[in-house]
Amino acid sequence: MNKDIEALLSQVQKPGRYAGGELYSVVKDPARMNIRFAFCFPDIYEVGMSHLGMKLLYGLFNEQPDVWCERVFAPDTDMEALMRERGIPLFGLESRDPLTAFDFIGFTLQYELSFTAVLNMLDLAGIPLRSADREDGCPLVIAGGPCACNPEPLADFIDLFTLGEGEEVNLELFALYRRHKAAGFRRAAFLREAAQIEGVYVPSLYEVRYHEDGTIASVTARDGAPAKVRKRIVMDLDSAYYPDRFVVPFIDIVHDRAMSEIFRGCIRGCRFCQAGFIYRPVREKSAETVNAQSRALCESTGYEEFSLSSLSTSDYTELERLLPMLLDWAEEEKTNISLPSLRVDGFSEELAAKLNVLRRSGLTFAPEAGTQRLRDAINKNLSEPEILETAKKAFSAGWTAVKLYFMMGLPTETMEDVAGIAQLAQKIVNSYYQNPNKPKGKGVNVSVSVSCFVPKPFTPFQWEPQDTVAQLEDKQRHLREAVTTKKVSLHWHDAQVSFLEGVFARGDRRLCAVMEEAFRRGCKRDSWSEHFSLETWLGVFRDLGLDPAFYANRRRSFDEILPWDHLDYGVTKAFLAEENRRAHENITTPNCRQSCSGCGAACWKGGVCTDARN
Amino acid sequence: MQEIRVRFQKTGRARYISHLDLTRAMSRAVRRAALPVWYTEGFNKHPYLTFAAPLSLGYEGLAESMDFRLIQEVPPQEIVRRLNGVLPEGLTVLSAAEPVYKAKELAAARYRLTWTGDLSCFAAFLAQETIPAEKRTKKGGTKPLDLKPFLQSADGLSEDGEASGMMTMELTLPCGSSQNVNPSLIAAAYNAFARERTGKERAAECRVLRTGLFCAQGVPFA
Repeated sequence: MNKDIEALLSQVQKPGRYAGGELYSVVKDPARMNIRFAFCFPDIYEVGMSHLGMKLLYGLFNEQPDVWCERVFAPDTDMEALMRERGIPLFGLESRDPLTAFDFIGFTLQYELSFTAVLNMLDLAGIPLRSADREDGCPLVIAGGPCACNPEPLADFIDLFTLGEGEEVNLELFALYRRHKAAGFRRAAFLREAAQIEGVYVPSLYEVRYHEDGTIASVTARDGAPAKVRKRIVMDLDSAYYPDRFVVPFIDIVHDRAMSEIFRGCIRGCRFCQAGFIYRPVREKSAETVNAQSRALCESTGYEEFSLSSLSTSDYTELERLLPMLLDWAEEEKTNISLPSLRVDGFSEELAAKLNVLRRSGLTFAPEAGTQRLRDAINKNLSEPEILETAKKAFSAGWTAVKLYFMMGLPTETMEDVAGIAQLAQKIVNSYYQNPNKPKGKGVNVSVSVSCFVPKPFTPFQWEPQDTVAQLEDKQRHLREAVTTKKVSLHWHDAQVSFLEGVFARGDRRLCAVMEEAFRRGCKRDSWSEHFSLETWLGVFRDLGLDPAFYANRRRSFDEILPWDHLDYGVTKAFLAEENRRAHENITTPNCRQSCSGCGAACWKGGVCTDARN
Repeated sequence: MQEIRVRFQKTGRARYISHLDLTRAMSRAVRRAALPVWYTEGFNKHPYLTFAAPLSLGYEGLAESMDFRLIQEVPPQEIVRRLNGVLPEGLTVLSAAEPVYKAKELAAARYRLTWTGDLSCFAAFLAQETIPAEKRTKKGGTKPLDLKPFLQSADGLSEDGEASGMMTMELTLPCGSSQNVNPSLIAAAYNAFARERTGKERAAECRVLRTGLFCAQGVPFA
């Protein structure tokens, strides 16, 4: 087996993706293990190895003396072809043992278009795709991550989902598994009991009935499974596990640096943003903890760069206190600090210069919408004067490029809003030329990136129809015509890809059949544009008698049972419905630090929900 | 400023580290070892490391060479100990000392090639008048090269290689900035030769181990 894998490595691109043996990769004695866990990331090594959640759980699981967690990534096309040709099953990077030798196969679901990659990895491992076809000796196939908040399109393939944060619930699953293994493992009995653990959703224990029109009539739990499954979260991040070492890859990966998590959740409540709702409430780590963890990681890994990780980093209340602490040792160790998505205007010039904030990452804004009216509707709290003021500051400091991120197809959007994107970009160009000290002979470059809005579960827009591909392409054309200067460069996402993402984001379990058939017809790398084929997908939908527009482009009524209604992320449906109404009236909602809007996340009695407000 | 040349091994899983990746891995190792290494100036400060002879992806090496400078003196034994405490599997430092020769004095390398597969044409391959190969040039073209002189001086060609399907040979090839011959040229030449006779796309695999680096006249590069 090992020899067969070695033989492949000399014939593929970037063998470092499959070779293992990186610093701090964990090797244990399989004979002394109770639980072998294959942590699967359904994308290539460079993407998966950049993911902080995987590093965290890898460290935590391997701290358990009788658990050995290994990493598995999706092989690239060349490696996959050779593996299939020579009958080599998918293997763990550390032991090179086939996945069938493991107790758990755990997938992290980061984006909907990776779902078929999950099927492909199961297939490469020689594991039956459908839960119903797996026997007692077969590994348990579990999944978690943000897309587990609507797991229904994968309901037939995954034995159980973990909802929310994985630190505690997985350890509880392991404890249950040890008991069952010692007593003689029976899959059905294990799953029935696992469903009693808070945060565990066993889809086979829920029966879904449909109305004639395809909407859901009822979801019924059986065998004692809870009617509603609530997500798990860790309340005290200061005492929560955080790795003091990362596996340090040899090959260049997407985010090749140490990372410190500074808080979870987001106070903002932008209405399009799923992360802003499913990770509530905001819980911060203290500056002391972040500083100590950052330093330990940099020392153990030797990384020359590290970043702070969170949503909306500038909302961290201790940022001004933390940064000098970090700079204190980082400068001496010649370690660069990189700060993502920061508002530059909040910093003293001295601090900004030390951090090289502008120089490193360039100046980036995410106004998301082109007009104030639409920014109000989506609750994106960034005003035009703020943007122009910061741009002006940056230009007078010698900066000549600005990046802007927008979305297209937002609810209530009109062609006026679309043209507003071009107008805002134009105002930034003008502000550059109004600067008397602008560098001689140098133009400005305003880069405008426009993605297509995809309505997501657990957001106020979960009932909204997604714009059709034709509508989106029409808007793209309109925007192209509205841009009249070469100083503005336009980039956008493929509307077809966003459409399929929209179908799966709000899909139900009837899509499992579509997923499987599309996989059989060769769709297994949908998140890679060169392998994406909407035509193949549309053919499958046609042949199976399902309409993708039913999932993507249909407006739901507030009283419709949504496929994820039996899952509980703290935020209530009533709150989301109220937010939806406010969106249609262009009314903003204050952030969690300004005042509590009663979203429901206060049920955990912690984080920002119990902080003193200013 | 203390000039240091480190000899190290790159074996096992570490052979899948490309040269560029090795540079990064060593740079991080030097940081983990907390050696007072001299950093480049400029915006992206990094430890200044130089390698006498890059090793191709997939090859193993027993006597690789890496230079750096220290801004405070550290005893060589201590450098070896500290680096080995932080290096990943497959990378091992053997010694550290002040460099004797300049990198440009490097002239040749010794290789052990382990062949497996269909070696039935090997005698005929070696018996050719010339053994032609195409060497890629820096400008992106190719130029012809005769491998015969290098193969004539190869040692240890086992007699029964053709039958057993496994054979080991040792040979010296030019290595350095003025002339460089990669052992992959020999593997490519044999496979091209064997393809015409056996019809096999890839008759044999050749595993490469670099065992030593030398200056002119076979003086060990130190």
